[in-house]
Amino acid sequence: MEASEILKQFSDVWELRHEYAKDWKQKRGGKVLGYFCTYAPEEVLYAANVLPVRILGGHEAPTLATPHMFDMWCPFSRDCLNQGLQGKYDYLDGIMATNSCLHPRQAFGAWTVHVPTPWNYWFVMPNAVRSPRARKFLRGELEEFKKAIEEWTGAKITDKELDEGIDIMNTNRRLMKQVYEFRKADNPPITGSEAMTMVWASQLMDKREHNDLLKQLVDALPQRKLDRDTGVRLMIVGSENDDRPFMEMVETVGGTFVIDDHCTGSRYFWDEVTPDNDRLQAIANRYCDRVPCPNKDWGMEDISRKRFTHILKLAQDYGVQGVILVQQKFCDPHELDIPSLRRYLESNGIPCYFLEFEVTVPVGQFRIRVEAFLEQIQAEELFV
Amino acid sequence: MIFAGIDVGGKNVHIVITKDGTILAKVEGPTGINKAEAAEKLYEEALKKAGLKRGDISRVVATGSSGSRVAFADGVIPDAAADARGVIKLIPSARTIIDVGAEEGRAIKIGPEGRVLDFAINERCAAGTGTFVDTMSRALEVSVEEMAKLSLQSTRSIPMNAQCAVFGESEVVSLIHQKTPKHDIARAVHDAIAGRVSSVARIVGLEKDVVMIGGVAKNTGFTESLKRDIGMDVNVPDDPEFVSALGAATAAATGVLEEKVEAKVVEKEMIEEGKS
Amino acid sequence: MAKYKTKGLDCWNRAKELRAKYYKDYKEAHDRGALRWEGGAWSFDAIPQALEGEVHGLTEEPYGASIGANPELQVRYQEAAEGKWGCARDLCAYLRNYWGSIVLNEFAYGGEWPKADFIFQNHICCSHAKWLQVAAEIEGGNIPFFCFDVGAGAYDKIGERQINYVVEQLYDGIDFLEKVTKRKIDDEKLIQNVKNTYDSACYWAKACELNQAIPAPLDEKTMFSLYVLGTLEKSHKDIAHFYKDELYPEVKDRVANKIAAVADEQCRVLGDSQPPWGFLRIFRYLEKYGIVSIASLYTFSLIGWWTIDKAGKLVPYPTLEEQGITIKDRDHALRLLAEGELKGKLMWVPFYGAKYKNDIITKIAKQWKCDASIIHLNRGCEGTAQHQMEMKIAVQNLGLPVMTFEGNMADEREFDEGRTTRFIDLFVTETLGLKKVAD
Repeated sequence: MEASEILKQFSDVWELRHEYAKDWKQKRGGKVLGYFCTYAPEEVLYAANVLPVRILGGHEAPTLATPHMFDMWCPFSRDCLNQGLQGKYDYLDGIMATNSCLHPRQAFGAWTVHVPTPWNYWFVMPNAVRSPRARKFLRGELEEFKKAIEEWTGAKITDKELDEGIDIMNTNRRLMKQVYEFRKADNPPITGSEAMTMVWASQLMDKREHNDLLKQLVDALPQRKLDRDTGVRLMIVGSENDDRPFMEMVETVGGTFVIDDHCTGSRYFWDEVTPDNDRLQAIANRYCDRVPCPNKDWGMEDISRKRFTHILKLAQDYGVQGVILVQQKFCDPHELDIPSLRRYLESNGIPCYFLEFEVTVPVGQFRIRVEAFLEQIQAEELFV
Repeated sequence: MIFAGIDVGGKNVHIVITKDGTILAKVEGPTGINKAEAAEKLYEEALKKAGLKRGDISRVVATGSSGSRVAFADGVIPDAAADARGVIKLIPSARTIIDVGAEEGRAIKIGPEGRVLDFAINERCAAGTGTFVDTMSRALEVSVEEMAKLSLQSTRSIPMNAQCAVFGESEVVSLIHQKTPKHDIARAVHDAIAGRVSSVARIVGLEKDVVMIGGVAKNTGFTESLKRDIGMDVNVPDDPEFVSALGAATAAATGVLEEKVEAKVVEKEMIEEGKS
Repeated sequence: MAKYKTKGLDCWNRAKELRAKYYKDYKEAHDRGALRWEGGAWSFDAIPQALEGEVHGLTEEPYGASIGANPELQVRYQEAAEGKWGCARDLCAYLRNYWGSIVLNEFAYGGEWPKADFIFQNHICCSHAKWLQVAAEIEGGNIPFFCFDVGAGAYDKIGERQINYVVEQLYDGIDFLEKVTKRKIDDEKLIQNVKNTYDSACYWAKACELNQAIPAPLDEKTMFSLYVLGTLEKSHKDIAHFYKDELYPEVKDRVANKIAAVADEQCRVLGDSQPPWGFLRIFRYLEKYGIVSIASLYTFSLIGWWTIDKAGKLVPYPTLEEQGITIKDRDHALRLLAEGELKGKLMWVPFYGAKYKNDIITKIAKQWKCDASIIHLNRGCEGTAQHQMEMKIAVQNLGLPVMTFEGNMADEREFDEGRTTRFIDLFVTETLGLKKVAD
């Protein structure tokens, strides 16, 4: 298959996510579990033949959510709840939350009261991820989670199945990283918007199928030549983002997103599980060591942010000329980091531009601002 | 006996004079900066229209965001209470009231006797108010009435930001640049406001009959969008922008003298306390 | 003729004194060679306060609240945080107050910002760890920083595993403290501090429980000035003594003698979250209608510890004496501290879902015989504002009228007093159908 055809399949899954999931249920006969936050341990779910699907918004005004979450909660979380209240997720067998930031917790809380999803689970993902105590605690949480899933599905999860779950997730991560490698090229054969759609599809479809498509994509990409100028090499950093119109707009006005750091992007898959005989500990280690969400990016004994050095390294490895910081309105974790991150990147010679996102964004106005940012970068390059 | 109800809103003053429950005269005018003066002037106009003198009016009750500025009123009632009194008089089966004026959109749940059981107000922003409608119509370069007509011609739904008027306006500009047909943009605007208003209404729960009042109720583009959004019929009485004033006049007929005095005293005390 | 007898609290001035002393001690600590630390109001102060020698802490939330109670100061500090540091306006208001204070190098209690010797912080939500992480950065990045995680799960799921998680981190915390201060943790002090913490937390809860009486002996506005001591230093002997030996007996006495907080009590209200600190006069306004706010999960459990008894009722957490426990050693002290906080601080339950919060506030509404609820939708704090709209639905399902108003606990730019008063008027005169009973 050609790269464009593969990418179209990812796009189709993103657009027709509910149909995909319902279809999967029929074909596979497994359960579908919705999750809000990327700290959900999908390895265990794949081991149990459960399809984990990330709850994403519909990019429409969250009218039904207002009586449950007043306006100061992040628009993405309210949008997610709105989807649930509209009945779009009526096929879900279960829904889970983790110790995420507070906003999706509100959506989950209201969901369990008002949306008739039959099963729900709260996964206590520890916050002190840099502490060895968290690794141990998380292993314990995973034990309990595994038992709960076994009870729910009615089937024990064997070590072999856990190994398979880990392998499915690791393969997916590795393959997506390989695709990302292509973006280091001077003329990347895949746009930022297309790469993001690939990641969104990963969060919405069976990763076994996703892996098959990824393998084909990795083979097909070297042959792909895009009829476009790369322009300014950009990185997008921030909160959850699945705003395709925005991504596409930037990539038509002289920029290309060559890399990203957000939870519907690289932060989701960057780190693999290092296999070990103690499978649950191996999984626990991965979730503690992965590139953290800002609300977990703090140390036990110093004020450094692990994510900052990671972002800088990515920016350097991918030849980034500018960073667009996107933040869902009211998003606390990112609001806490952004002033510091900005200073950090700018002091390392990387200009930043900040944009606040809602469920829909004023693409026209953002276009003007992004164009100005790109011009600024190009002008600076002239004088360097 | 003859009574008067005066609704002093952020943008407009509405006055009705009633006798035995029938409206003898109604008058509307801008609130302007000097609200007390505006109320006074328009009251005189209403009296003239009804062919009456001040002494003919048994009791005057004021309401609205600046109802307490009406110096000559005998009583003041909260605006949502005035809405309730006015609506239940016109439509006894009403149980949910949606009142969208220039500056505020609110939803009120009422009991069969017209008592306010619950209320919710869009607290943040112009989105979901008449001002949003005005702003968007200017962005589209049409009048509010034309925008409503255009909206009814559209069969397409385009999601638009409904939380923030500034974002919303930017989006309209974007849609124009994308050469989206005007009637589709007009509908998107009305759908966005309807979504905002309905989300506030859902806080109190949508129980039929749903009645819409306030200036924006005259906008057929908006009421169609709202009906679609809530999946229910929406009743719009004649002269919806006068219903609050009618409610105040109805309250005057039942006697609310003591409330005005208390409100004044309490307000004074709060000002004193604020200074200390 | 007033309905009930009323009088002010005898221990009121003592509470004010203790609070003033706390901030004075912090400010002057270095002058006396004492240590200073910054940390959370939930930060298990028993531990750093167990270091040898004199130690004083500054807990972030009440400091942020103090600034919030002074709108002029608050706007200046927040504009400094937003303008100079560059943070968003909708971040937690306390946090912006705190950062602004550092940016301007001012201490709200006079003088320059007092530099701390170390930070001992705890984390449960999106912001606590980051709050002081950024504060330290603003100050130059040289303050030793330690933070531990208390997000170990809901109160009814706390077992050995969860307690171990926290206790192990506390041991790490002790290593940190001893390393950076070059002082040792005194186990005797630690044990006493934990005892004091239990007394503070349990006796505050007991005092709150007495508000089930009709008339209520305490009103929320008064209670705000009383619980605050527990957010400063639960482990201090004077504060523990205040709750156990001064406040609690006095409140018991008020109940026995039917002394009301508000003489014309006719409507008992369930509140939620912090109030808008700069506008506490709205409580006095409500009192003119005989409306008294007497209960809230926030006021009861920000420092108070509670448990659910066999009959399913919300009751104060048992004291160490009631449990028949004598603290043996350091490990025992740390375990008891962790257990008390994790099981007893029900202010944490909303972090684990709406059903938990609904369950607790339903119990409160019934047991405290509430007639209505007024919920401050607090834009200033995502933590305490969790599931407030769900709470509204739950309370309405109990048949109680509920009113909500948006505001901000410590950002007066987000609170519209005129508008809120209009809403209150409507709610009080229409929905509750009450007339004024007092001047």
